[in-house]
Amino acid sequence: MKALYVDRQTWQHRLPPRLKLIVLVTVSVAVFLLDRPLPLAIAALAGAACYFSAGMGLREALRRLIPALVTIVAVALFTLLFQSAAEAVTALLRLTALMLFAGAVTATVSITQFMDEITLAATPLEKAGLARAADIGLASALVVRFVPEILGRYEAISQAQAARGVRPRALATLMPLIILTLRDADSIAAAIDARGFRQP
Amino acid sequence: MKTRDLVLTALFAAIIVVLGVIPPVQLGFIPVPIHAQSLGVMLAGVILGAKRGALAVLLFLLLAAIGLPVLSGGRGGLGVFVAPPAGYLVGFVPAAYVAGLVSERLVRAGQSGGRQIAGFFVAAALGGIVIDHLLGIVWLAQSTGMGFSKAFLGDLAFVPGDVLKAAIAALAARAVMVGYPLLPQRV
Repeated sequence: MKALYVDRQTWQHRLPPRLKLIVLVTVSVAVFLLDRPLPLAIAALAGAACYFSAGMGLREALRRLIPALVTIVAVALFTLLFQSAAEAVTALLRLTALMLFAGAVTATVSITQFMDEITLAATPLEKAGLARAADIGLASALVVRFVPEILGRYEAISQAQAARGVRPRALATLMPLIILTLRDADSIAAAIDARGFRQP
Repeated sequence: MKTRDLVLTALFAAIIVVLGVIPPVQLGFIPVPIHAQSLGVMLAGVILGAKRGALAVLLFLLLAAIGLPVLSGGRGGLGVFVAPPAGYLVGFVPAAYVAGLVSERLVRAGQSGGRQIAGFFVAAALGGIVIDHLLGIVWLAQSTGMGFSKAFLGDLAFVPGDVLKAAIAALAARAVMVGYPLLPQRV
């Protein structure tokens, strides 16, 4: 898994991650409060300026935008068809602005910085005895570690079934995949406890 | 939370990521793709139970939010949480919770196989269809200004696919319960 963070040094990378997240939240609230095309167009332009100067390179930047743009254009066409042209333009500009700002933050805040912010946000929960901040990092690391393993297992199961002439069906592959994966839980948990990664 | 529960949660989040590698089906006329990831969400609820299931989905969404391409089609980042179909995504967490809660109430070890499958199906449908679609419709209607009635009509296109997924989830959950009984060891 390759993260969507772009490892470059632009002015946006140098801003503190917390500030960028606060700006993003403020912008998301603001674009829903605005409903005239002109301020929304300015927001979309500002978003585009941030997004395209986040150090991605034009090709990568456009590639990331396509799935989101397809949905946004579909929504705008839908609105145009059933409501007015003005509302279609408003929806198009508003969603595009949001998408661009969010994309810029994603490209300029690294996984480590995000984890620090999450740990900080989880501190009140930890004080209340509801969760442990360190567990969030451990669980995330486990997921990243086991995705390739489970993918490999999925391949192995489908190949074994194909060799036996079983037609590929979702259920037939899913059942052994889940059972085999969850069975590992005990030994992984024992390994974590044996190494003292988690305070009891 | 015991280490074993933490590991089960993480492993299931990883299973949900893997299910997203299977490419989604676009219907074209409504801006939401059909993907196997929502099947994974139903499965998390009915197999792991309410608490662990919801936490597995939350962990999965957390990884998407911090910019790992874990969503179907290699998507991720904060943008997906503000896009028109974001309600369906965020709704995954309560969906898994409700599916888990209902299956914990309906399904017991001593019941006949048919009753267990029926119980799992009701649980998966209530969480994965009723709860998730409700949140999806609310956000779709609010974020695009298309109104509830139109959002609801558009949503209906996805109900048949999700009913099918609930059925697959029910069969798989019963098979897992027989093959590796996890449900009795709830947190």
